[in-house]
Amino acid sequence: MDSFQFLLILRIALVAILYLVILQIVLVARRDFRRVAVAPAAATTRARDVIGHLVVIDTGSTPLQPGQTLDLEPITTIGRAPTNSIVLDTNFVSTEHARIIFKDRSLWVEDMNSRNGTFLDQKRLDQPVAVAPGAILQIGDVRFRFAA
Amino acid sequence: MIDRRHYRWTELWLLLLPSLFLLIGLLALEIVHTQPVAINQKTLPTLDVFTPAFGLIAALLATHIMLNIVAPDADQTLLPIAGMLSSIGVLEATRLGPDEGQPSLGSKQLVFVIVGLALCVLTVWLTQKRLRWLSDYKYIWALIGIALVGVTIAHAHSFSASAPGRDVLTIGSGGLSIQPSELLKICLVIFFAAYLSENSQVLANGGFRLGPVVFPPLKQLGPLLAMLAVALLIFVFVHELGLAILIFGVFLAMVFAGTNRLSYVLSGLVAFGAFAYIYYQTIQGYARLRVDLVAVAFQPQYATNQGYQIVQGLIAFGSGGIFGVGLGLGRPAFVPAATTDYIAAAFAEEFGFAGLLAMIGLFMVLLYRGMNIANRARDPFSQLMAIGLTSIFALQTLVILAGNLKILPLTGVPLPFVAYGGSSLVANFIIIGLLLRLSQSSLADRQRRRETRDEINQFQPPAPANGAAPAKWPTADARQPKGTRAPAGRP
Repeated sequence: MDSFQFLLILRIALVAILYLVILQIVLVARRDFRRVAVAPAAATTRARDVIGHLVVIDTGSTPLQPGQTLDLEPITTIGRAPTNSIVLDTNFVSTEHARIIFKDRSLWVEDMNSRNGTFLDQKRLDQPVAVAPGAILQIGDVRFRFAA
Repeated sequence: MIDRRHYRWTELWLLLLPSLFLLIGLLALEIVHTQPVAINQKTLPTLDVFTPAFGLIAALLATHIMLNIVAPDADQTLLPIAGMLSSIGVLEATRLGPDEGQPSLGSKQLVFVIVGLALCVLTVWLTQKRLRWLSDYKYIWALIGIALVGVTIAHAHSFSASAPGRDVLTIGSGGLSIQPSELLKICLVIFFAAYLSENSQVLANGGFRLGPVVFPPLKQLGPLLAMLAVALLIFVFVHELGLAILIFGVFLAMVFAGTNRLSYVLSGLVAFGAFAYIYYQTIQGYARLRVDLVAVAFQPQYATNQGYQIVQGLIAFGSGGIFGVGLGLGRPAFVPAATTDYIAAAFAEEFGFAGLLAMIGLFMVLLYRGMNIANRARDPFSQLMAIGLTSIFALQTLVILAGNLKILPLTGVPLPFVAYGGSSLVANFIIIGLLLRLSQSSLADRQRRRETRDEINQFQPPAPANGAAPAKWPTADARQPKGTRAPAGRP
């Protein structure tokens, strides 16, 4: 076999590699596609599930507006850290202050061992409590009213 | 630091292929070099030619490892595609360099690729918590981009109405020259994406109607059109029409994605058509010649001077045939600017139609993965960014390939990743970095939702103290509700 034949083989190999890359990526894409088709719940919940609202009654030292409405999701976390659903970046609020969970058809409010406590209708929470619309939630110096 | 469950195995496997490609390609060049009889009058690279290969492989591996640290869930095919196209670019630069009197062209291209990969990783790392920041400072980004280009034009090397616009947009000299217009494209996409995502409601509703056609509301459209006009005017002024077309096309694509109104796109195209017609009728000189050449390049009076490049380019494509004449065996150096504008012709001459088709296929796969990232985006800004960035690749490839093939007038946009040129390569790798970050954050978001479900499942409501049932929260749907539509009766 002379070098030109060898070169031909190499050239075919080069072009084949190019097509192989395309093929591989198409296979990867198909695999992703199948995974999405099999688990539609995970892929399609791009919309947020809003199950209720908190209406701001007392803005405290936050930049919230009185009467402002915040959405409640199946789980809503409140705290100073930016990873929370509701971020209250002010002095009396702990990093992870409280969370509100919708489970078994009840909306539960739980204090996450915050320093200043979470108050529901002016009573400090020491264990999760289920709320109804109209209850007043106080975190730091901010107060909200639960609304449907 | 690297989670074994999240390791990017697919990417590693895919990265084998560009590495293999470069090694085999350089081997072929070496063999051709030892056949002086058939390959007279040509200079080909010498034995130290394998350095680019190992350099590139090492750079790709290093990037792969870094991505495992900063964005482990991001799309695993983007880097391999970019790597594959870059290795085609390095191979071609290595092959063409000596022919064009620059023996180290391949190594220079390799340096650019390494810088590009480093900036890609840097982009992915820096945008970790700051995507929102990009959209908040949109005006600043746009103005930075325009200022860079403005400064470059003000310091232009050669500014004359008849010279190609490329020189005007370059700052620096010889070995280290930058074209800020490549970065301007990214800045404009950020601006358009941020603006469109914030005003999508108003823009989608439309201004006033005229029969079936809806016109966009001019007040909201103001800043958008102003920025577009500034960018277009700059490029039209310096006769760099390829970039103007690119920006306008990307703009239309993003407007359509952001507002879903075909009439906006159509009115944009009509405006473009009118403007193009007027422009063509009124300009003289170099720019007009380029448009005319699409029709007349093969005529005798043009074929040997102004049309020479186009004619030689088409001959190169034709000589390639279906399987090409073979790496190192063709004469692509007859085509002027074979390493930059006409790289597709050089590649097609030696690898043939089959090779060219494969290269186009790679770009199409890139386009597909980019749109896929857009589809899975978690918020409008990310989605529009992904669409805009992908459109840059798509339109750029389209414009330059059509120019090479004499379907459209030739313009100075470089073929992404393949053409020789540092600024384009670096900017394109930054775009890949942004796409990777968008992919990672959409997946991270989905991951967070899955963790949310776990958290709810683990929560144990306490037993009520006095045995009474806990208060019920009124919802229309007793189970976890789906969708954001508020049930009837809510305030």
